[in-house]
Amino acid sequence: MRKILFSLTAAAALLTMVACTSNDDIVKDNELPVITDAGITANPVDCQVYSRGETIPFRYRFTDNEELGNYNIEIHNNFDHHTHGTQKDNCKLDPKKESKDYKNPWVYKQDFTIPRGDKAYDAKQDIQIPADRDTGDYHFVIRVTDQAGNQQLRSMPIKIK
Amino acid sequence: MKKALSAFVLSLVCMAMFAGNHLSKPLLSKAKEGVDSSIVMQDVTVLGNREKDLQMRSSVNTISIGKQFLQNNFAGSLMQTLSNIPGVKAMSIGSGQSKPTIRGLGFNRMVVTEDGIKHEGQQWGDDHGLEIDQFAIDHIEVVKGPAALLYGSDAIGGVINLYSNYIPTKKFQGGVLLFGRSNNESLGLSARLQGIMNHIYWKVNTTLIDYADYKVPTNSIQYYSYDIPLKDQRLRNTAGFERDGSVTIGYKGYNFHTELKLTDSYSKSGFFANAHGLEVRLSSIDYDKSRRDIDLPYQSVNHLKVMSHTVYQQGALALEANLAYQNNHRKELSEPISHGYMPTPPNTLEREFKKDTYTANIMMRLALNEQHMLSAGINGEYQHNRRNGWGFIIPDFETTSFGAYAFDRYTIKKDLIVNAGVRYDHVTTNIHSYNDWFKTPINTTDSVYKQRSQDLHRSFNSLTWSAGINYATGNWILKANIGKSFRVPIPKELGTDGINYHIFRYEKGNPTLNPEESYQLDLGLRWGNDKVTVQFDPYLNYFPNYIYMNPTPNYYEGLQWYYYTQSRVIRSGFELQANWKILPFLSAEFKGEYLYAEQLSGEKKGYTLPFSTPWSADMTLKYDYCQQKVGNEGFVALNFHVIGRQNNIVPPEKPTPGYYTLNLSAGKDFAFGDKKLHLSLNAENLLNRKYYDHTSFYRLIDVPEPGRNVALMVGFEF
Repeated sequence: MRKILFSLTAAAALLTMVACTSNDDIVKDNELPVITDAGITANPVDCQVYSRGETIPFRYRFTDNEELGNYNIEIHNNFDHHTHGTQKDNCKLDPKKESKDYKNPWVYKQDFTIPRGDKAYDAKQDIQIPADRDTGDYHFVIRVTDQAGNQQLRSMPIKIK
Repeated sequence: MKKALSAFVLSLVCMAMFAGNHLSKPLLSKAKEGVDSSIVMQDVTVLGNREKDLQMRSSVNTISIGKQFLQNNFAGSLMQTLSNIPGVKAMSIGSGQSKPTIRGLGFNRMVVTEDGIKHEGQQWGDDHGLEIDQFAIDHIEVVKGPAALLYGSDAIGGVINLYSNYIPTKKFQGGVLLFGRSNNESLGLSARLQGIMNHIYWKVNTTLIDYADYKVPTNSIQYYSYDIPLKDQRLRNTAGFERDGSVTIGYKGYNFHTELKLTDSYSKSGFFANAHGLEVRLSSIDYDKSRRDIDLPYQSVNHLKVMSHTVYQQGALALEANLAYQNNHRKELSEPISHGYMPTPPNTLEREFKKDTYTANIMMRLALNEQHMLSAGINGEYQHNRRNGWGFIIPDFETTSFGAYAFDRYTIKKDLIVNAGVRYDHVTTNIHSYNDWFKTPINTTDSVYKQRSQDLHRSFNSLTWSAGINYATGNWILKANIGKSFRVPIPKELGTDGINYHIFRYEKGNPTLNPEESYQLDLGLRWGNDKVTVQFDPYLNYFPNYIYMNPTPNYYEGLQWYYYTQSRVIRSGFELQANWKILPFLSAEFKGEYLYAEQLSGEKKGYTLPFSTPWSADMTLKYDYCQQKVGNEGFVALNFHVIGRQNNIVPPEKPTPGYYTLNLSAGKDFAFGDKKLHLSLNAENLLNRKYYDHTSFYRLIDVPEPGRNVALMVGFEF
């Protein structure tokens, strides 16, 4: 019996040691990255209107307390007036469109990398709007992560003429 | 970390006490065997004053709960009621439903059984509740700690055993319960009729519940920078209803008992309308026109069970057979909306799951002599799961599992019992491939129906064991248990490969995952006299390969990439409970719990696990009156509940501030001959505090917990 108890104790002690030989050097990042227009002229902004064939000059600044991860830009239609994300609901929308009312909505989805080690990064992309896509209300969604996997999101309503 | 292991240091002290005792030697040969002392027997009833017997019955931490407790602590759901037990928590997923966790482990890391049969729904889901009629339950046993020996896969954190095994004593008897809750304007009725004649008995149960949108103490919800105003502080579209029914017939003889039970539980409930999963939504549906209607998005679940339970006893031998068929049919409906490359879906059926589960458990218990009680059993289970709808989360699959176990309980003397057991399981999982119903461009010209899950056939073997000791001396009862438990990876963990539009992330399964294993050391230390009892239950738990979904900084197909991985994890904690009978009519109770978890390897080394339970403390002052009038007893209790801040988080969680609530409960019985009337009142969150529950699914979208609630229940038994 004592042997059993001894081995239990030993096993438990071993677990403790395993647990304690860890990680005082590990930095835990529990803060979300930030999408900001501070210090730059950010683009696009809420309710901005673009024409087909034109270029959207995307400019935003990302910051993080530890280390930025990557970012992604998504543009999709808002013909059904769904709202997700972070925009204020104050742009004038076109009338709703049923799926029979449109043929070729624009979908843009692109992942971008940020150099390792950056705490601040000025993102810059020029996005060409195809000339043959449906006009109307769209959402411009920015997502950015940090290295720990925290994600920040910003969604803006834009219009394409 | 060091602070976290204080519980463990205390356990060592306890160990030393054990070791100091004069224990006999022949036990040494029994090192490798089983856990639980109790085969799941129909006839076991445990009374409060037999606490010591119960404590001596099993070396695992076991808590027995009777109907009285359930009525006096009546809350929105059974699991919320059970969260009054230290170490048990309810993850709320809306007004009428919640899912259980034991010591921070939920989902597929714990087991819920009904009359000895493992309940099988879609328990992996964040917002899936428990499809069981809580008012048909007679008695509950909560096992905190590893219980793989009896239940096989999943019983890592513990087991909640629900029993509706009351056998009628009269030719005709029954009961009616009427109840209401103020917060979600819920109204319910539960009725039971039953009788016994010439050893043959029957029971009929029905429960009907209807509830409106629930209230939160806030006028708007802030999620990201979006502001969602609430009408009358009601959480839009969280109304729902539940309809349950069951029929039982049985034969109860001197040494033979058999019963057949058919139950069906149906519920339909809305999801909060402004967030579907994690996505904020605005819709043209006029949700505010009624607070009792259920619009899109909503879920409906039907759970059908047929169970047969048979016990045969002859002298020292008892045989038990449990057979069951379960059908779980879940639908989740929402407004069809295009996302990314997915065009607007043709209908509202986002997800549908049909799961059939066949279970067979055969057990025997043999008293070899006065000292040895040998138990053994075999279990078999077959699951068949099919999906449908335009939202893909888990693939179709079939799972077959077999297990066999044996354990011995050796009563060295009345106050010293040891036990040990071993179990072997073999599980095969067959996963079917799934391709998107829409095309995704792979370059400028081509697009394909992307495969989101591949054909996969895996088999898993697992050897688990457990050993424990119970010792009573003077006013002390000491327990220790060490056990290994396991969990077979679920098809979502193995097979998923695609966008989870519900939580807006790209989830990648890992077909090579091994069964998750867990080693746990449990101690139980109880001291009591007729005035004061103190119970302290520390534990230390180690996972060499905890299955964890890790958020990465990377994007894939436009969404953040999460993948399933395995990491070493240590968890430790304790529960503490103290009761003090200050005066014959006045008693005080303290309950507290603490849990620490840390990942020891992998990308999130140093971080905790998702949904880590914060510390909590609970103080109750209870006044009993009319104690001398048997059948007419009453009580009033005031309760103060404090929950600590949770700063120990892992991305993408947010820290959750602490909070406290003030609660009041009261109950009174009235006897009319052999008929009984019971009144109970439960007022929760009297101060209408706004707070967040770190372990709630809605925490992720910043929805606070329900505000003030008064629940009233009237029961009449005849």
